[in-house]
Formats: sequence, structure tokens, C-alpha cells
Amino acid sequence: MVLQILLLFGLVFFSVLAILIKDLLKAAISLAFASLLLGIIFFRMNSPYAGVFEISVVAGLITVLFMLTIALTKGGDAVESKTASFAFPAFFVIFIIIDALVMKKLLQKVPALPGPEVGGTIGQVLWKARTLDLVCQIAIIFAGVFAVLALFRKGGNKDE
Amino acid sequence: MIFLFIALPLVVAGVLPLVGKVSKRVLPDALANAVLLFLLVESALLGKQLASTGPFVQEFSWLGEPVNLRLALDGFSLFMLFTVSLVSFCVGIFSIDYMEHYGSKANYWALFLIMIAGMNGLVLSTDLFNVYLFLEVAAVASYALVAFGLEHDELEAAFKYLMLSVVASAFLLIAIAVIFGVTGSLSFTAVASGLQDLGIKYVVGFCAALFIMGFGLKAALIPFHAWLPDAHPSAPAPISAMLSGLLIKVSGVYALARVFFNIFGLTPALSTVLMYLATLSMVVAAFLALGQKDIKRMLAYSSISQVGYIVLGLALGTPLGIAGGLFHLINHALAKGLLFLNSGSIQRSTGTRNLDEMGGLAKRMPITAATNLVGSLSIAGVPPLNGFWSKLIIIIALVQAGQVGFAIVAVLASVLTLWYYLLIQRKAFFGKLNERWKEVKEAPFWMLASNVILALICIGIGIFFSLTIITWVRPAADALSQGVRSAFGSWGM
Repeated sequence: MVLQILLLFGLVFFSVLAILIKDLLKAAISLAFASLLLGIIFFRMNSPYAGVFEISVVAGLITVLFMLTIALTKGGDAVESKTASFAFPAFFVIFIIIDALVMKKLLQKVPALPGPEVGGTIGQVLWKARTLDLVCQIAIIFAGVFAVLALFRKGGNKDE
Repeated sequence: MIFLFIALPLVVAGVLPLVGKVSKRVLPDALANAVLLFLLVESALLGKQLASTGPFVQEFSWLGEPVNLRLALDGFSLFMLFTVSLVSFCVGIFSIDYMEHYGSKANYWALFLIMIAGMNGLVLSTDLFNVYLFLEVAAVASYALVAFGLEHDELEAAFKYLMLSVVASAFLLIAIAVIFGVTGSLSFTAVASGLQDLGIKYVVGFCAALFIMGFGLKAALIPFHAWLPDAHPSAPAPISAMLSGLLIKVSGVYALARVFFNIFGLTPALSTVLMYLATLSMVVAAFLALGQKDIKRMLAYSSISQVGYIVLGLALGTPLGIAGGLFHLINHALAKGLLFLNSGSIQRSTGTRNLDEMGGLAKRMPITAATNLVGSLSIAGVPPLNGFWSKLIIIIALVQAGQVGFAIVAVLASVLTLWYYLLIQRKAFFGKLNERWKEVKEAPFWMLASNVILALICIGIGIFFSLTIITWVRPAADALSQGVRSAFGSWGM
């Protein structure tokens, strides 16, 4: 239980950090940390499907794409917006309040069917249970790579 | 082997950049178009197979071990598959000449094929999460394709498109997560039966609202349309044709219809909400189109308006309404594809998209003018072209169902549509030839070929409309009008 609470706190902490940090690279890394923790939480809550996707796609693939993009682009002008710096903390506080007041009661009221009996190693889940998702992942990686290649091509104007 | 519809474009897309190192233009063009032609022929052959066997599910094994690759084909998915293959083949031919001056053709084709793999996968999958993933595959490829020209407008439009699409994806993902939470499953069959057993009205209502917002954004129904009038005109013409002709229909209309008909079951309340949204799109977008000077922007608004017709027919929920909506879907895909390609021909020849600067182009570009006339009249619903029949069926279905008010609005919006399409025709092609365009030449061969093929198909479907309805539209409409039963019965899961 203590570990679970620590994990949840870590998740919220790194998520908030990802939004508030100015340095894009550090923001991407803390986002990856947040999703790594989320993946572990999923595994501990007996949802290996979700855990596998969270860690492989969000913590792994997306972070790589972020870093690639950050490495390929130059830093632009810093955008300073006062509304943005107020809006997020305000939204966050409101969300926490609503969450604390409503969610538990609401979830108890919704009946649910038992989830599927899933277990086994990551490999079994990934290769046997959700193979088509893997095909999709390959397609998305392709799309991302070709998008980066196309958008950052040399002398990429129409008169080339 | 329906898995080929996903695997073949993906594999070829992976090879294309390597092929591009050997030959910059000819080989990538040939390879990509060969794939598109193959998919078109294969989808036509599948039609024959489906007619004899009925809907079927395919599962695969890898070296004797069963793997969880489960794809299903029924009338509706085949109908979409055929539409995607037909339009993308024509757009593919057009791209051979049009994309010449953009450079990096191998990359263009790779992204193009990935987008098609995404759309095909979405249409064939039997699992909510796969639907979401394939939707993203097609979307990620399309963001890059919208920005392919790398000019300021294109990048800005792609960014706006990306931002609003992400919002749509978030809505969809939340809805899917809630459904997974309550039913413990993601496959269409299990979710449909789970939701019926549980009888949780409010949760279903909440998810339905999220799905309407998510798919509504993807289909650009008003008030979720803000991204489309920027994204579609800014993209290179073949991509505009793909987005307006296919992507908004596959990732918006198809997914919406599949979820609401075969998983949730269309309730009267849902039907009413969708009909009002559709009518709003139909009318408001038609008025917005009237005020446009940019030809592609006008076409983009027209797409929103025509998606309104499609959703109106589907949401009515009667077998005739569904058939009309689906028939309009393929007709609009063909005609709007044709019109966007025509606008590409004009832009390439004159360098402008502004209708006020054009004039008298019919004298210099007679074939483009003729094909444009066919496309315009088809979408406006002038007999005997294909668009007339589908609009007629939708309006008859509305009257039959006692929705005379909606029928009258649909007719009036159709008059507006005719008005702004005649405006394009008059301003761009008729009248005195503008001095600036004296040296303008007709579009190159492949661009003309693709336009002529699409125009001929529009005329052909108009003449043989009953044949088209019997072979393609009716099986699709049947799959939808069976509602939730289709998910249980015909897929045998």
C-alpha cells in the first residue's frame, strides 16, 4: 500500500513537472518517468496489457520521438504567457477537488463485469494476446519516422 | 487474405525510402501505384467472395502458433475498403505528375501508403482499441502529408489539425477506457453483449457523448469543424482529395456508424442528436462555402456540408436512410476527390487558388473544365449524375420516416450547393479569358487521366445506380441496419 501511494505521488509529481518545466528535453524526460511509474502501477494492479503499452509506447517510443525532434530543431523564442502559468495550476486544483469529492462514490455506483483473467509475461501479452496492436505500433513508428524525414528534408521547398 | 490490405502497403512503405535511393521518381511511382491497383482489384474480388460466403472472420497463425490477428469483413467494411481503394488509386495516378516539384517522392509515397494501411486496418478491425490505433496511424501520416510542402500555411494548418485531432483522440481514448472498465473487454462482440447485460444507461450515454465529440471532430461535423477549412486547402491537392474524400469518412463516419449501430445500438435519442448535428453541418457549411474566394477552401466547406448529408441519412436509422447515406458517402468520395484534384490542376497551371483571379480557363484547359463540371453537378445533385440519386434516396427516406422538416432543409441546402458550385464553374472556367492566363497549358497526362477516370465513374454510377446499390451499398446497409445483432450473428464470435 505504501509503495502504491509512493508510486501515485511520483506519477503526479513527474506529470506536473513535465508541464511546468521550461527546458523541453527535461520535460520530455520527466514525462517518460511519469509514464514509467504509471506502467509499474498498471502491472501492480494486474493489468499487464496496459502496463506493456504504457512502458513500450509512451515511456519508450514517444520519448525517443520527442528527443529526436528536440535534437533536430533549434530552440525558438520562449513563449511567456501569464494565462498559461495560471491556468494549469488552477485547473489542477479544481480537478483534484472534483476527484476527491465525486470519483469514489461515482465508481461504486457503476456496475462492471469482471475483467479478463490475464496474466503471463510481457512477451505472452504482447506477442499472443495483442498482436494486431503490435502491427499498429510498427505502422505508427513508420509514420513517425517518415514524417520526421519528410518534414526535415534538406532544401525542402517546392522548387527543389 | 484480408490482412494484405494492411500488410502490403506497410511493407512497401518500409521499402520505398530504400527504393528512392536507387531511383528518385520512376520506381517509387510505379511501385506505389502497383500496390494501389492491386488493392483495388483485390477489394473488387473480395466483393464476389463475400457475396457467396457472407461475412467472415480471419485469424492467423505464425509458424503453427495461433497469433491474435483477428480481422473481420462484412458488407460495410468491404464497402469502405472498396471506396478507399478506388479513390486512392485515382489519387495515386494524379500524384505521379503533381508531386513532381515537391521533391522527396519516395517519402511521400511511404506516408501515403501508411495512411492507406491505417484506413484499411480501421475498417477491418474488430476491436475498439485497434480502431483507435489504426485511426492514429492514418492520422499521424496525414499530419505529415498536410505539411508536406513545408510552407508557412501548410505547417500552420498541419499544427492546427494535429492539435484538434489530439483532442478528438483523447475523447475517444477516454470513452474506450470507460467501456473497457465496465465490460472488461475490447472486442466489438463482447462489448456489445456486455453493455446490453449491464443495462447502464448513464455510462453508455457518457461514452456516446465522448464518441460523438471524438468522431465528430474527425468527421468535421459542425461545431467540431474548425480544423478542416485550414487543413484541407493547405495540403497538396492529392492529399486534400484523400482527406476530404476518404479520411474524414473512414475515421469519422465509418467509426461513428460502426460504434453506434453495431456496438451501442442506435437509440431514438442518439438518432435525434446526430440528425440535428448533421443538419446544422449541412446548412451552416453551405452558407460558409458561399462566401469563400479560395477554391479549395470552398471545397473544404462543401465537404463539411456533404458529410452532414451522409450522417443525416445514417442517423435516420431506417434501411433506406442508411442506404442513402452510404451511397452518398461513395459518391461524395469520388466527386470531391475529383474536384480537389481539378483544383490542383488549376493551381499547378495558374499558380493561384483565388477564384476572382481566374476566368475563362475553359478555353485553355477544356478537359479540366469538363471534369470539374461533372464533379460539381454530381455533388450538387443534378440528374442523372451519381450525387442526384443518393440525395434523392436520403430525401425519400426522410419523407417516408415522417421527417418532412429535415427533408425540406436537405433540399434547400442542395440548392445552395448548386449555387456555389456554379459560382466556381462561372468564375474559374467560363467568361472572358483573363489576359494573365493566355499561356496557360492543360494539365499533364497522368493528372488528366485520373480526373477523366473519376468523372467517368461519376457518370457511370449515375447511369447504373441500381447496379451499384445492389452490389455494394445494400450489403453495407444490411450490416448496419441489423444493428447490434450483426456483431453477434454474422461474425460468429
